[in-house]
Amino acid sequence: MRTAARVLVPLLLAGSAFAGERNPPQIDYMLQCQGCHRADGTGAPDQGVPALKDSIARFVAVPGGREYLVRVPGASSSPLSDAELADVLNWMIVSYGPAEQAEGFDPYTEEEVAAVRRPPLARVYELRQSLLERFEAASRQTAN
Amino acid sequence: MTRLDDWFGNLARSVARRSSRRSFLAGLGTALVGAGAIPLLPVSRAGAQTREPVPGEPHPDTPEGNPESCEYWRYCAIDGFLSSCCGGTHNACPPGTEMAPITWLGTCRNPEDGKEYVISYNDCCGKDTCGSCFCRRTEGDKPLYYTHKNNDIDWCMGTSSAVYNSTVAVVVGVATKKG
Repeated sequence: MRTAARVLVPLLLAGSAFAGERNPPQIDYMLQCQGCHRADGTGAPDQGVPALKDSIARFVAVPGGREYLVRVPGASSSPLSDAELADVLNWMIVSYGPAEQAEGFDPYTEEEVAAVRRPPLARVYELRQSLLERFEAASRQTAN
Repeated sequence: MTRLDDWFGNLARSVARRSSRRSFLAGLGTALVGAGAIPLLPVSRAGAQTREPVPGEPHPDTPEGNPESCEYWRYCAIDGFLSSCCGGTHNACPPGTEMAPITWLGTCRNPEDGKEYVISYNDCCGKDTCGSCFCRRTEGDKPLYYTHKNNDIDWCMGTSSAVYNSTVAVVVGVATKKG
């Protein structure tokens, strides 16, 4: 709830901006991400498109994960502005979860996105794998 | 004159020998019933009917409102054969094909309300190329280095077959600005 408020309140405050030249984050997701990651975020793992659903929020829970999400080529090279990309990332993390990690996350800001966005990652899959392994290891430690 | 009379007489007798009144009546009856059935044959009478207007859409008698026309408003960035012309509709694939879940999306302006709608261009895959009603429009189409915004590539991905048949245009949202 706390996270939802932290994400939604700035979005509502920015509502007047949407009336002008900004799309709501879900529409930007549709236009820039949904073609491959699909409307439900399940992606097409056998085609090399990772699932966002029950996965994306894990990355903000491990060191290096926040930067990874901003620097994957689809995000880093998208025509979205830094502020728009921050909104879409926040929207995806809350929408696709897992809820456990999305609950406590600190939303991206335009400044943070601007600071880490360039250059796009070159070796995406290797970094993704090592971050997920880091997440699994941390989860096991917490469970023990 | 006699020879003419004889000729007509012979002709009449030969016709009478080869035919009967019953067969004449049967033939006449067939012709009458057959003529009555001609309007029931499934021939195109496009001129005799007008399409029903769809709420929120331009009138279907205009090119912008007709899903079988390349000028249909949702096709502003389509590149391929219109599913609506290949046995499907503007938002459903032809029978025997599979709709690709991986797509490219853009926006098109609906002239009826002036809003930008998010359109998903899904390819229909699994059967040979349709070959009818090719349509190529490029609003918002980006060069190939923006792969996810390029309509030239075969979007038959995530389907059991990569064979391209045709394309549909599905409205999935309303945008604030052109995308």
